[in-house]
Amino acid sequence: MEQQSHEPVFPANRGYLKRKKFYNNVAVFFAITAFIIGSFPVFHIIYKAVSIGYKYLNWHFISTLPTGFPIGAEGGILNAVIGDLYLIVIASILAVPIGIGTGLYLSLFGKKRVNGFLRLLNELMIGIPSIVWGIVGFYVFSTNAGPGFHFGFSALAGGLTLGFIMTPIITLLTEQAVNQIPASYIEGALALGATKWQATRAVILKAALGGIFTGILLGVMNIIGQTAPLLFTNYYNTGMPTGVTGPGGAVGDLAMLIFIYIHEPSKILHYKAEAASVVLLFFIFALDLGLRLINYLAKRFIL
Amino acid sequence: MFTLKYKDDLFKFILSVFVLSVVLIFLISVIIILYYSYPSVIRYGISFLWTKEWNPPKEVFGALTFIAGTFIVTFLALLFAIPFSFGIGIFLQEYCPYFLRGIFTVIVEMLAGIPSVVFGVWGVLTIVPWLRESVEPFFDAHFSSIPFLKVEENIGYGILAASIIVAFMILPIISSITKDSLASVPKLAKDGALAMGATKLDVIKDVSLPYALNGIYGGIILGFGRAIGETIAVVLLIGNQAVVPKSLFSVGYTISSLLANTFTFAVISPIYASAEVELALVLLLTSLIVNIIGRNILNRVIGGRFSRSQFGGG
Repeated sequence: MEQQSHEPVFPANRGYLKRKKFYNNVAVFFAITAFIIGSFPVFHIIYKAVSIGYKYLNWHFISTLPTGFPIGAEGGILNAVIGDLYLIVIASILAVPIGIGTGLYLSLFGKKRVNGFLRLLNELMIGIPSIVWGIVGFYVFSTNAGPGFHFGFSALAGGLTLGFIMTPIITLLTEQAVNQIPASYIEGALALGATKWQATRAVILKAALGGIFTGILLGVMNIIGQTAPLLFTNYYNTGMPTGVTGPGGAVGDLAMLIFIYIHEPSKILHYKAEAASVVLLFFIFALDLGLRLINYLAKRFIL
Repeated sequence: MFTLKYKDDLFKFILSVFVLSVVLIFLISVIIILYYSYPSVIRYGISFLWTKEWNPPKEVFGALTFIAGTFIVTFLALLFAIPFSFGIGIFLQEYCPYFLRGIFTVIVEMLAGIPSVVFGVWGVLTIVPWLRESVEPFFDAHFSSIPFLKVEENIGYGILAASIIVAFMILPIISSITKDSLASVPKLAKDGALAMGATKLDVIKDVSLPYALNGIYGGIILGFGRAIGETIAVVLLIGNQAVVPKSLFSVGYTISSLLANTFTFAVISPIYASAEVELALVLLLTSLIVNIIGRNILNRVIGGRFSRSQFGGG
């Protein structure tokens, strides 16, 4: 009798349970396979770029202008690195104040309906294809016929177009960061008689700093990879810009440099395109690491 | 007291100016696209969308080739991406050991951060030779009788190469939204099922997925919106020939790649430019409709929280 009690109550179900476990294992296998195939490009892109472009990866490559024939066969990519800095600064001048301001308004003042509308507007702006932004940027900033700013193909036109792309990202992440602050922080400040401006300056901006920086860095990460909007607003310059508008105002850009070099028939330019990809990926992943660090520190020490 | 109140009003006023400028940016964008596409909309009417001939010197413009190319690439990319992102979402949220979840999520987010042009170059150097040397000869030898799989020119470039790369590019957005939707399932419901003796697969199939399905649909819709506008990688891979693709391996042209290649020449002739801006209008309206639907679903399911993968590089 004692031994019988160890028998399963419903022996017929044994196969059923085994089958269920087997199906579960099959599902695990497929999920892992999907993950491996999905993450394969990350590693292979880096491997391929480094293995093709490694001979150009030195300080000389980053610190000299492209020369030779076809242009870029000798020298480096300094024009693109400097140009990216121009574009980031110009885009940030437009996008950072507008983005932070709108994000603060959404979380501090807006009424429910207005807020829903503004949020949707920003979400839609994130969804607009970058090539459409390029055409908008062309007609607003670059064209020399019809209404517009007539900046020509220049850093200012390209940078401001990229600013359009960057603004909604900063807006939404600022709003998210402020909404994550415990309500008691803000209510405490308001209960002490602080105005909303005082509460913002003393409490909200400090507590949401990590989130706001995340938004700015994500925006920068996004725009340094953009090529399509620059096709019609800035294009490319193999030398240094002499200004920010008009003739001579165009700047180089890493993404655009890669795009142009890969179209050339010359093999050496393909190698340089891959080397430039490594530099671009390095900047993007460094920003990525930086924003993860900021997030971690902000969670640890501010909130 | 007066000064404090005054300062607060000033603060609100300044913020309102910023808000207005965001609204203004959006309105200007839409108005510009509408204004510059107006001549073409008037002249070619609605049949612009299904006329095939695109002949700038004769001023005959029909967008069918490019609209067909765009939607074929988008649907193929979704077809490739959905099963994988489904698997990735389920793996990260349900099966992955907790200590690995963080690092694996970072890898998927890195995929979202890789710029379009780098993907394009990788496609040219990796996917195209692979298609040319292994896949296309194989299909040519075994499946050449099926019209949909016929290999016309064995060059590697074409809609298959483009849609594989676009699939990789929308993978992170769909899989991260799948993961977030699965994460929003109440733990009690899952624990209840596990306590009844269900395997993890049963929990996913009978508890999590029914609950998360709406969010996953939202993710797929956003992925669709991302895929139709993909430009640079597609320009590098699709072959850029104005033909309606008849098979998986034929070359084609999408709206975005046409704009990238020809818009700078088109602006010389107003009606040519207008026809191209009308194509941009098609892209813009599709992306707006798709995003309104997708965001509405997501705001209901995961409360409109933003994961990193939604801001991928362009």
